[in-house]
Amino acid sequence: MVKDEKIASLADSIVSRFRNAGVEVERSEIVKRLKLLIHEFKVPEGEAVRTITNWLMKEHEVSREQLVEKESALVKIGDINKAGEWVSLKARVVQLWDATSPNVSQVGLIGDETGIVKFVIWVKAGKGEVEEGKSYLFKNVVTDSFGGRLQVNVNRFSEIVEIDEEIQLPPKEIEVVGALVAIQQNSALIQRCSECRRVMTKGICPVHGKVKGYDDLRIKGVLDDGASIYEIILNQDNIKELTGIGLDEAVKIAHETLDRNAVLSELKKALLGRYLKVDGTKGERFLLVKHVEFIREADAKELLEELQEELQ
Amino acid sequence: MTDGIRRREVALRLFAHELSRSTHKIEPAGEREPAYVLTPTGAKVNRVFSVGVLLDKEEVRPDSNLWRLRVSDPTGVFTAFIGRYQPDALESVIEIEPPELIAIVGKVRVFEGLERNFVRVVPENINVVDRTTRDIWVCETARRTLERLKEFGKTEDSKLAMEIYNTDINEYLGIVKQALAAIVEEQIQEITEPPEEEEEEEFEGFEFEEEEWDLSDLLED
Repeated sequence: MVKDEKIASLADSIVSRFRNAGVEVERSEIVKRLKLLIHEFKVPEGEAVRTITNWLMKEHEVSREQLVEKESALVKIGDINKAGEWVSLKARVVQLWDATSPNVSQVGLIGDETGIVKFVIWVKAGKGEVEEGKSYLFKNVVTDSFGGRLQVNVNRFSEIVEIDEEIQLPPKEIEVVGALVAIQQNSALIQRCSECRRVMTKGICPVHGKVKGYDDLRIKGVLDDGASIYEIILNQDNIKELTGIGLDEAVKIAHETLDRNAVLSELKKALLGRYLKVDGTKGERFLLVKHVEFIREADAKELLEELQEELQ
Repeated sequence: MTDGIRRREVALRLFAHELSRSTHKIEPAGEREPAYVLTPTGAKVNRVFSVGVLLDKEEVRPDSNLWRLRVSDPTGVFTAFIGRYQPDALESVIEIEPPELIAIVGKVRVFEGLERNFVRVVPENINVVDRTTRDIWVCETARRTLERLKEFGKTEDSKLAMEIYNTDINEYLGIVKQALAAIVEEQIQEITEPPEEEEEEEFEGFEFEEEEWDLSDLLED
């Protein structure tokens, strides 16, 4: 069953390659030949595909240039849903792994704002190396399925061009436990521009200048778990849940003390150095908090028991 | 870093026993690079997060706004210095009366004395916290210390640490157990006797001028 799926996906890939070059080929014939080569004669898949492709090229008088010249359609990673398609992608290298096979030049993850996908650059592709964090146009790469997951393969017909474009990655839902080690500027009771919601400093919006603003309560802080840091943003609901100080209370404190900074002092006293468990959406830089809570005594006990068991 | 934006340094978790013995400076790799201190278990530390008891605070000279703090966890004591370049910590410390349980985030600095080096924490933030925070910190610090011990001898940094400190792994394993035992017994809150005095004696002869501090990189954050 799995074998047949593999054959089907290889056949699709061949058919779509020729279709991209404007040639319709007989799929059933391809399937027959693939089965023969792979199942009967135990030829490696790549070789089988190459042999059949060469045969089809002769049969239909298609040149190699014709096959690859037509640039595959530029797609988003989120749109990749089946193996065997020729595509082009604009993506950022998210992570490089150690290549486990001598045939693999580089392997890792690439991503755009719609998703993240594994990629493999074969040694045979003879391509230059990509670097983590940089963005590239991956031209004419083939989608593939490996171990039940989709990936893209860079082969010798592909092209990798570095682009001067900051490709955004998709937001990630994460949960983090750490100590709040810093509360940054423009936290606590702030004023936002009523036109663009940007944070105003001293009554001035960076875009609209001197405009009417409205009060908001938020914290930009740093959560640190001893191995990584996360820049988090707590909104007024988060802050109220933790400290009991919501926007109304904050405004009241500011009125009573005639000092908007008094709110910041209060919040620092309540939160700095405390352990928080947050979950939210991690964007490029900030983790937008959806839910937050203090770590409780019971959690501490659990940590302790785990450690004691380990040290027995 | 490659993109020109310097990543904020992670605050490491170290017990006072280890922190107070970390006297080996690692010179910055470049002008704009952070300075690190190598610890006996092979951590390269720039910033620490610590939770302990503020045993005492003392203004170095009257009206100098330069404060010396002594902070204890279940394994030992370390010293922190707050000057005018740490306005947030300064504001907090004035309001805190020892003994009190506090959390400290700060930079680790090694100062060269005449006979030996001194390690000091220069706090960025200080806040009063509760026992639960302390308990979590002890567990977390135990966990991180065990992780370093597991890697000891395998990483370049830990090999260097072995060379410099001749680290005894069992000593640090003992420290971890001691710290955990302390929070099980809930006994450390009442510490009034400073557990270690030796270092302080030498310290008296060491005149601290604010100018002697290399605080320049603190200002960049």
